[in-house]
Amino acid sequence: MKAGLEVHQQLSTGKLFCSCPSELSEEVRGSFARKLRAASGESRAVDAAAALAASRRLVYRYETGPYDCLVEMDEEPPHPINPDALDTALTIALLLGAHPLDEIVVMRKIVVDGSNTSGFQRTALVAVDGHLEVRGKRFSIPTICLEEDAARRISERPGEIVYRLDRLGIPLIEVSTGPEISEGREGREVAEEIGALLRATHAVRRGIGTIREDVNVSIEGGHRIEIKGVQELRKIQQYIDSEVERQRLLLSVRDALRGQGARPPDHAPVELSDLFETVATGPLSAGARKGGVVLGLALPGFAGRLKSPEGTEERLGRELADQARSVGLRGLLHSDELPGHGVEASHVARVRETLELAPLDAFVLVTDRDRARLELALGRVAVRAAAALEGIPGETRDPLPDGRTRFSRPLPGGDRMYPETDIPPIAVTPELLARLAGSLPERPGALRARLAAEYGLPPEVAGQIVGGALAETFESLAKRGRPPALVARLLTQDLPSIPSPSERSEPFEPSVELLDALLRGPEEGRFAKEGMPAVLAALAAGAPSLEAALARAGLSGLSDAELDAIVQRVVRENAGLIAERGEAAFSPLMGDVMHEVRGRRDGKVIAEALRRALAPAQPSA
Amino acid sequence: MHSDPWEVLRSLPMGERVEITAPSGRIWTGTIVPRHELSGARILVLKLETGYNIGVRIEPEARYRRLGPLHSPAPGSSSGGPVPDAPPSGSWVALLTTGGTIASRVDYETGGVRPVKEEREILEFYPEMEATGPVHIIPVFDRLSEDLVPDDWVVLGEKIVDAFRAGARGAVVAHGTDTLGFTAAGLSFLLADLPGPVVLVGAQRSPDRPSSDGAPNLQAAVEVARRAALGEVVVVMHAGPSDDRFAIHRGTWVRKMHSSRRDAFRSRNGPPLGYLEGGDLRLDLEVRPPSKGPARVDGPLDGRAGLLWFYPGLSPQKAAQFAHDLRGIVLAGTGLGHVASSHVPWIREAVGRGVVVAMTTQCLEGMADPYVYATGRELAQAGVVYLGDLLPETAYAKLLWALGRSSHRAEVERLLLTDRAHEFQLRHQDREAP
Repeated sequence: MKAGLEVHQQLSTGKLFCSCPSELSEEVRGSFARKLRAASGESRAVDAAAALAASRRLVYRYETGPYDCLVEMDEEPPHPINPDALDTALTIALLLGAHPLDEIVVMRKIVVDGSNTSGFQRTALVAVDGHLEVRGKRFSIPTICLEEDAARRISERPGEIVYRLDRLGIPLIEVSTGPEISEGREGREVAEEIGALLRATHAVRRGIGTIREDVNVSIEGGHRIEIKGVQELRKIQQYIDSEVERQRLLLSVRDALRGQGARPPDHAPVELSDLFETVATGPLSAGARKGGVVLGLALPGFAGRLKSPEGTEERLGRELADQARSVGLRGLLHSDELPGHGVEASHVARVRETLELAPLDAFVLVTDRDRARLELALGRVAVRAAAALEGIPGETRDPLPDGRTRFSRPLPGGDRMYPETDIPPIAVTPELLARLAGSLPERPGALRARLAAEYGLPPEVAGQIVGGALAETFESLAKRGRPPALVARLLTQDLPSIPSPSERSEPFEPSVELLDALLRGPEEGRFAKEGMPAVLAALAAGAPSLEAALARAGLSGLSDAELDAIVQRVVRENAGLIAERGEAAFSPLMGDVMHEVRGRRDGKVIAEALRRALAPAQPSA
Repeated sequence: MHSDPWEVLRSLPMGERVEITAPSGRIWTGTIVPRHELSGARILVLKLETGYNIGVRIEPEARYRRLGPLHSPAPGSSSGGPVPDAPPSGSWVALLTTGGTIASRVDYETGGVRPVKEEREILEFYPEMEATGPVHIIPVFDRLSEDLVPDDWVVLGEKIVDAFRAGARGAVVAHGTDTLGFTAAGLSFLLADLPGPVVLVGAQRSPDRPSSDGAPNLQAAVEVARRAALGEVVVVMHAGPSDDRFAIHRGTWVRKMHSSRRDAFRSRNGPPLGYLEGGDLRLDLEVRPPSKGPARVDGPLDGRAGLLWFYPGLSPQKAAQFAHDLRGIVLAGTGLGHVASSHVPWIREAVGRGVVVAMTTQCLEGMADPYVYATGRELAQAGVVYLGDLLPETAYAKLLWALGRSSHRAEVERLLLTDRAHEFQLRHQDREAP
């Protein structure tokens, strides 16, 4: 197994080719609709992935809001490249020991799925030949690119996909590793290390969806598969493992197909609508009611090889169905799952008869009102079935929440790239590189070691601080005299435990001043250590100041006098207990007092107050 | 002996694959593609196998190896047979091409867009153009619109007349958008007795982009040319940012009001004549119906006219110099149609020599009116002709045409003030600014 990663990280520098901020919003101010066509590049060849997308003949609707302008609408030429984003990309290149190019050429990468209003993504190769070390193993970083993020997909209905323009144009740094990852766990670790490096620049966006991984996987005898847009690092391992499983299965299906004399489909699709007029339930009945057409395609020698073999979820039938979905159908029915789905054995027999099938032949059925779409779908199914006899076709696949993947489009080739002529080439001067080299952030490995040594942090805590790009905050708090262990706990445990913001909302990022005041709170007796999570939660929920947060958390306003009053009341109420147990009554009484004032005063202060209150009441020894 | 590798590499043919070894030992393998005209010194642009282009500085110590040409499909081979010379029988639409973005593709050498030279390329870009009936392509020019001159309007007008005489139902003119408004106005005055619509159309995005507006605009223009009951010159372009609504503008009322938007073309002083939306063709205003013909060109144009935008600080000497060898001049004045009173003497002198001086407003909307302010009254007394709500460009085109019709100032002035192509709008109803 060989796997490589492409890590895409959004930058917080503002957008790449206009002056909009790198922000998302739920506010929709308007919308417009467009169509896209497959266009040809410099060589006049039309890319396979682009041709597939264009063949769907979809209308794309774009929602506009506060964070887009005419550039995202493709109504104005791109502005010059954002210098801060370029500096960040070159900084990453230098941190990875890569070789920046002499002159950067911004390219148009044709993307006709509607996610870019222009029909292409602007992307530039910035540097090559870097490397990264993780757990003593060296991974090559062949390329570092700077590109624009795509529009956010909001919803889809038949014939139309809705996107929002806020995300379009946010700069993405793409760091690609060589195919040197040999197991799922390694994939996750490499991604984490690259993430830490990116965050070290302090120019990246934070929160869900701001870093996404593409995973390239191939096994011996297979083909490169690109799993696009994995958002959760911990799932990388799962996607790699399930992709390996899928490729192994498909290779074994190939051998079985060859063994039973399967051939590429060579007959045209046949209309079978008449045979299914009596179907009462299932997808074909729904199709028939809407005046749908049913087409069938024979798969010679494929019988029994479309369903999942024992003990696996993967199957060739699913691969074929994905092809039907890729042109806008809901899916297909194949003979290994029939009778079923409302189709009776008698229907199956008549289909086999009409298609003149031999016992080892299989078939697929598709239905829709648009006959051209069905023919397009079966054309793709036939190509995919033929490819099953060869092995694994190269594809881009979408990650699914259950850890599996689904066909998205053919692997795009070089034909989809041509120069962005609206942007002149960008010279990378020795002066620029020297300036950036002079202000490189500390590498994560070195920083981890220094934090552990200087502040006495356990290595895994230092790792969490560096991985979370919290080192700067940590050090400034520690230098203000806050106890390092307490600071580390606040940053790595208390803060992350606040409910995580969605991709849409602003992440909670309190200032160093606020964190400092928060940490001083217990020292100054304003509230107890135990109250920290409650105060943080109040701040994250929008409390405008520490005082307001204390009030909101019910932690403010307990003076010494008020504490004494509570303690004396508890002592009065338990006079019998005290008389009976003497000093041993301290623990249960402390429990009662803590229950009432927990978090509002430090435990030590409470204990002292209780001892004072008990002292005169105790009988003298 | 070591020769400079740059001298050899810079002259290798495009499409040649090379391997470059930099002095650092770094090896680059790629296909030579055209340098951008703004590329730095000694930069060779290579296309890598991934499709990315990169700029590699060729140091004198660099080494290289030639790896032979990369196979690529021959240009223009992907589709489209020869274009027939004879018009098809039945109801057909003439498509006259003049160049411009709508008939341009990216020039990878200069980095800009260039007009296509072959009409075959038009069909390659717009295979769906003939969806509702035959279209006959008539190449006229292959120039960007900023390079067109008024005499070209006459040539274009004659080709349009030829097409109608050969039986065209309507004519579509694919034109660069920069001066499309001028040409539309010019043709509005030049063409007479039109038996069908003359539809000017352009694109704000080149057709090699998936998001080009060229294809939808062209299809809409062909539809209007085929179906609209019109005997006049119109412009059909996007009505908004969406690809599903197109405005039909009168040729004398329309102006490019944005440098890059798809809906850059706007009718001034009122709404467009109508819209094409989702296949529905709608005309909201009174239009000139198709004539029984035959169509003709009412030329010639006299090019001895000018258009001058007044600005604070424009010296009367400069303006007089500009008007010196002209027979007529259109002023785009401030507000209701004013220039500084210091200009009155040269204007009076020019009018005395027989020069026609016409006034429009640089506000682009509203009337030029001499009677509201003293300066206007003074200019009118000096002999300036106030052209009401005509756009400066439309007034300029009309002046070229009127000067071609008569050598007498008074007659030219009478022609200027007489409505010819529904160019004057007598009612200006309140409406929201578009």
